[in-house]
Amino acid sequence: MKLQHSLFTRRQFLNSLFGGWVAALAATFLYPIVKFIFPPYREPDKVILPFSEFKDMEARAIKSFAWGAKPGYVKKKADGRYTAFVAICTHLDCTVAYLADQKKFYCACHDGWYDEEGRNLSGPPPRPLRQLQVNVEGENLIIKKEGVS
Amino acid sequence: MKMKGTKNSNKYLILGLLALWGINFIFLTYGFSQTTSSQEKIEQSLAQTKPEKIIPSPQNIKESTAIYVFVGWMWASIFILIYFLKLKIKESDRLFKLKFFSENK
Amino acid sequence: MNKKKLWISLGGWFEERLGFQAVVDFLRKKKVPQNKHTIWTYTGSAVLLFFVIQVVTGIMLAFYYKPTLEEANKSVARIMTEIPLGWVIRSIHFWSSSFMIAVVFVHLLSIWVIKSYRKPRELTWMTGVFLLILTLAFGFTGYLLPWDDLSLSATKVGTDIPRSIPIIGVWLTKFLRGGEDVTGDTLTRFFSFHVCLLPLGLLFIIGIHVYLIQKLGMSLPLGADVEKERAKELPFWPNFVYREMIVWLIFLGILVSVAVFFPPSLGKVADLMAPAPEGIKPEWYFLFLFQTLKIFPAKILFMSGDTLAVFLILVEGILFFFLPLFDNKPAELKGRVITALAYLFIIYAVVMTVWSLIQ
Repeated sequence: MKLQHSLFTRRQFLNSLFGGWVAALAATFLYPIVKFIFPPYREPDKVILPFSEFKDMEARAIKSFAWGAKPGYVKKKADGRYTAFVAICTHLDCTVAYLADQKKFYCACHDGWYDEEGRNLSGPPPRPLRQLQVNVEGENLIIKKEGVS
Repeated sequence: MKMKGTKNSNKYLILGLLALWGINFIFLTYGFSQTTSSQEKIEQSLAQTKPEKIIPSPQNIKESTAIYVFVGWMWASIFILIYFLKLKIKESDRLFKLKFFSENK
Repeated sequence: MNKKKLWISLGGWFEERLGFQAVVDFLRKKKVPQNKHTIWTYTGSAVLLFFVIQVVTGIMLAFYYKPTLEEANKSVARIMTEIPLGWVIRSIHFWSSSFMIAVVFVHLLSIWVIKSYRKPRELTWMTGVFLLILTLAFGFTGYLLPWDDLSLSATKVGTDIPRSIPIIGVWLTKFLRGGEDVTGDTLTRFFSFHVCLLPLGLLFIIGIHVYLIQKLGMSLPLGADVEKERAKELPFWPNFVYREMIVWLIFLGILVSVAVFFPPSLGKVADLMAPAPEGIKPEWYFLFLFQTLKIFPAKILFMSGDTLAVFLILVEGILFFFLPLFDNKPAELKGRVITALAYLFIIYAVVMTVWSLIQ
């Protein structure tokens, strides 16, 4: 099939080829720049803490710890077992407080309430607090990300 | 005599550009994916020793290859772009000689 | 409304309010002479290219660099090891600074030899001398920022030199150091110079420099036939700009290749109380001055060798600044002597640099 007219002019072709290749080369340079500006955030798979610091906790009380760069709470449940939460409100990322007298987690930013199992009760939070697995192994309290064996 | 591109011309241009981007994307993802895998290794080695001098270098064979691939691709692109620029220079010099852009012809 | 019409009407909306067509028309009308000197006209935009690269990589480095005594070295180490491809960005910043200074010297020397500073372009030269000083200041202040043992010692020596200047010397050293000695305050001060004061100053003077070049047009070689030259000239846009793009691409390729294969290392963190490490040297662009200071004897008559050397360098600097006013008869013997001085300076600088390196 022979066309009556060229699909595009020679000038259009050359300019598009040139511009396109410059854009592609620019993207090659842009990739490391973007990777540099957005470094990967790595959350720890597990955090190991000395059990001695948590041994003498009261039942239904909390103690804070560092979960990577985020705040976390270790909670001793009524039956003596331990659990842990990431203390970040699921609404807009404020750090939640634990009101010991009411046995509830409270986020002061927008009046969000969670019960002592981290389930969202009232206010804007859409989801329960993130819960982490806790094991006591010998002298250590090991806090693991959910789903990590 | 002015040549007008038809509606199809844009389609081919866009397809051509997408192909170019696709080739670049393959190079990008292959090349730079090699560097991130070595982060943990670097952190571990740093934690163990406190070196007198930190000399940056690619951590593994994948990363070294990725660097060569990138530099090779960059120079190939540069030579191709210089070829295009030479064509554009020839054309703009020719147009200038013909006084294509001057007010009084 | 089809896409093309949309672009045209959008452009028209901005044109009514901004009037940038005047700039485009000017760039099309601007002409660049084509003669044996044309190759040197590429150096100006090359300097700008490297400067833009410095600004971009510098801003990126400043995302992670912490300019305090405790954190500076650690943050650079983090950039080099933890941040993805941080070592590449730092390496490009490091090499681009050397390239920029090298091209600034080539630019300066070519203007000197071609005598582009002849009337009416004297102010262009003088703003250029300011730009040279600012560029060297960028290099000097940036060198301290990693805060390793070599850079601390180099800064101690470097900030001690102005002390020899009569009257204002001691005050100048105190201003640079933020006190009597080099301390953490010097580091924060140098960081402020490097990212605030010097960029503002440089941008301001570049504005004047580039404006003067546009206003006064491109100079012609000494004794050239004006008619013949005008006939050979090419438009700046697009003909000359396409040629400049080729130069930029090659420079960019060389810069990235060198940066990727020869990244700079980081020494251990500076210790203010430690003795100076062996073999301290300033960056290569200061070596010829460094060596000049070294060869002066400790005492000449009543003055210390250092003071005399600094004084001489200062006097030469001032003469250099007023060079266009001295070279008012460029075609005669005086002009030829001044051209010869340019070559003498090149030989002197190269010899001093090589001597300093092999010592």
